[in-house]
Amino acid sequence: MVDFAESTKMAVKTLAANRLRSALTMLGIIIGNASVITMVGVGEGAREYAAGQFESLGPNVLFIIPGSPASQNRTLERPRALTFEDSEAIATQVPTVDSVAPQLVTQQTVVAGNLNTNSTITGVTPEFTTVRSFEVDAGRFITDEDVERGTRVVVLGPDLADSLFPSESPIGQTLRIRNVSFEVIGVLEAKGAFLGDNQDDIAYTPLTTLSSQITGNTSPYGLEISFISVMARDEQSMTAAQFQIQNLLRLRHRIVDEDSFTVRNQKDALELIGNVTGALTVMLAAIAGISLLVGGIGIMNIMLVSVRERTQEIGLRKAIGASEQDILTQFMIEATILAALGGAVGTLAGSGGIMLVSALTPLAAGVSTTAVIVAVCVSGGIGLFFGVVPARQAAKLDPIVALRSA
Amino acid sequence: MKDIIRFQDISKIYGSGNTEVRALSHVNLTVQEGEYCSIMGPSGSGKSTAMNIIGCLDRPTSGRYELDGTDVAQLSDADLAIIRNRKIGFVFQQFHLLAQLSALENVMLPMVYASLPQRERQERAAEALTKVGLGNRMNNRPNQLSGGQQQRVAIARAIVNQPVLLLADEPTGALDSHTTQEVMSIFAELNATGITVVMVTHEPEVARLTQRVVWFRDGEVMHDHMAPEDLGQLTVVT
Ligand SMILES: Nc1ncnc2c1ncn2[C@@H]1O[C@H](COP(=O)(O)OP(=O)(O)OP(=O)(O)O)[C@@H](O)[C@H]1O
Ligand SMILES: [Mg+2]
Repeated sequence: MVDFAESTKMAVKTLAANRLRSALTMLGIIIGNASVITMVGVGEGAREYAAGQFESLGPNVLFIIPGSPASQNRTLERPRALTFEDSEAIATQVPTVDSVAPQLVTQQTVVAGNLNTNSTITGVTPEFTTVRSFEVDAGRFITDEDVERGTRVVVLGPDLADSLFPSESPIGQTLRIRNVSFEVIGVLEAKGAFLGDNQDDIAYTPLTTLSSQITGNTSPYGLEISFISVMARDEQSMTAAQFQIQNLLRLRHRIVDEDSFTVRNQKDALELIGNVTGALTVMLAAIAGISLLVGGIGIMNIMLVSVRERTQEIGLRKAIGASEQDILTQFMIEATILAALGGAVGTLAGSGGIMLVSALTPLAAGVSTTAVIVAVCVSGGIGLFFGVVPARQAAKLDPIVALRSA
Repeated sequence: MKDIIRFQDISKIYGSGNTEVRALSHVNLTVQEGEYCSIMGPSGSGKSTAMNIIGCLDRPTSGRYELDGTDVAQLSDADLAIIRNRKIGFVFQQFHLLAQLSALENVMLPMVYASLPQRERQERAAEALTKVGLGNRMNNRPNQLSGGQQQRVAIARAIVNQPVLLLADEPTGALDSHTTQEVMSIFAELNATGITVVMVTHEPEVARLTQRVVWFRDGEVMHDHMAPEDLGQLTVVT
């Protein structure tokens, strides 16, 4: 019996002597592996991207939006609006809450000098920057006094500031929203996009000013707002906060059956996105796995042809003392080397693909070590598995017939 | 002198029923250690079949075969592989060298299956190649060697594990008369060192160089221990 190292040496020699064929045989496995690595990497990247996006909303944030969870899909009926008073009640009565930021959102034309743009105007209170993790770059943000007195001041996102005041400092300048003039008191730091939505071209005014001067849509229950962002004390109190807010609002809205609001946890959203991208990753990996399988069948195919071609060699080896086991081992090792090497090359190619994806898209796709290990091991296993049939055929060859086949 | 080959009532039947071919029929044959023997006979008379059984590449359908005192029927296929490796050297008409290996590597191959250490393999292979006069061609590939040189590499490969028995099925069948002489003188030298040599040949001039001729016909031994000078009359039969 020949030892393993010796069989490996022989296998390597044979494969090296037929370089082109070896490379072509590996092609299927290379492609299979490259796609597994790329797919899993991109899937992971997408998940991380989504997670990063939600984290950029601010830590431990809950969103309260009007409408029941069930009615979120039905768009026709207009649910009872949330009010400024609701948000103040949450701030004062829910102990697990750190800060509450009510927001009123509208779309308006903003005019500054001879420039104008259609942009989102959000009415806020001073808590907004704390809850949503925004920083002021220049000037100041809206204060409690601004909200109380309904002053006509505005804070601009950096992109909006650039487009309205391209050549001068916006602080102290005047702009008009729906013919009401506002004084620019501050510019925010850049925040980037959230799920593709630019967060830097928004104008912020005191909630009360926006409501009374621009939108005017107060509900019978109080000052109507679009939604409320809440920051819980810490991560552990998120669930408690969600529960307490629900109870408080049910009481305030006198709800007996279906809720008129929904409390969204960013963790829920993260989980949902995780599920979707996870399912996507599994599907992509399955497709890639099938191509690996096809690669394995390719190896079996070429190996069968190779056994046929090398009939005389096999006969000769047997005549000079190779046992069936020796021949079996040699061919199994050849198949496994082809597959494992194909796996390694495919992994390199896949890593290249991932670098390309992360260079061209915002997805920070990474090479997953697990995926690499699994892919290479699976390839080797596929080589072993699909090597069995040709190797057995070689081992079983009758040396007399094999030697006569010249 | 001890017997290296002892055939007792050996038969080999291929196929069955209507297509049955009796390649060997109740053959009795004994070859002693140190003999230099050739097997002749018409095409299809069972020479190769006998050689395959002698070389443990095949098993007889019936009869008893003892190789160097061992009853081969008792041995497993794996044991037979070891016997072929240690006790027997094969030389074929078509050389059967591996094209991707150098002469030296081809000669080293039987020692790979004998699991000898790499250094010993190299030394012994070089020695064997020198013995057949190819000490200066060790790193050539088979396609860089003439037919006679290739057959000498094959002989070196056959003797490198120091077998007791050298089997050659038409070893000069693919060679011209000059290289035939070269190869035959190597066989004679090897036989002189004590190796038993059995070869199949169609050429009386080749058989004449051996000590004993066994004549096969229709799967039976028709003549044994023929004097080489009697060959002249018999070649008419082929
Ligand atoms: N594998 C086989 N299956 C069936 N018949 C076979 C097989 N091998 C050999 N034979 C038959 O057995 C007989 C003897 O064949 P063998 O090869 O031993 O002849 P030979 O004496 O070596 O002939 P040659 O001089 O042509 O080489 C022939 O009739 C041949 O057709
Ligand atoms: Mg023959």
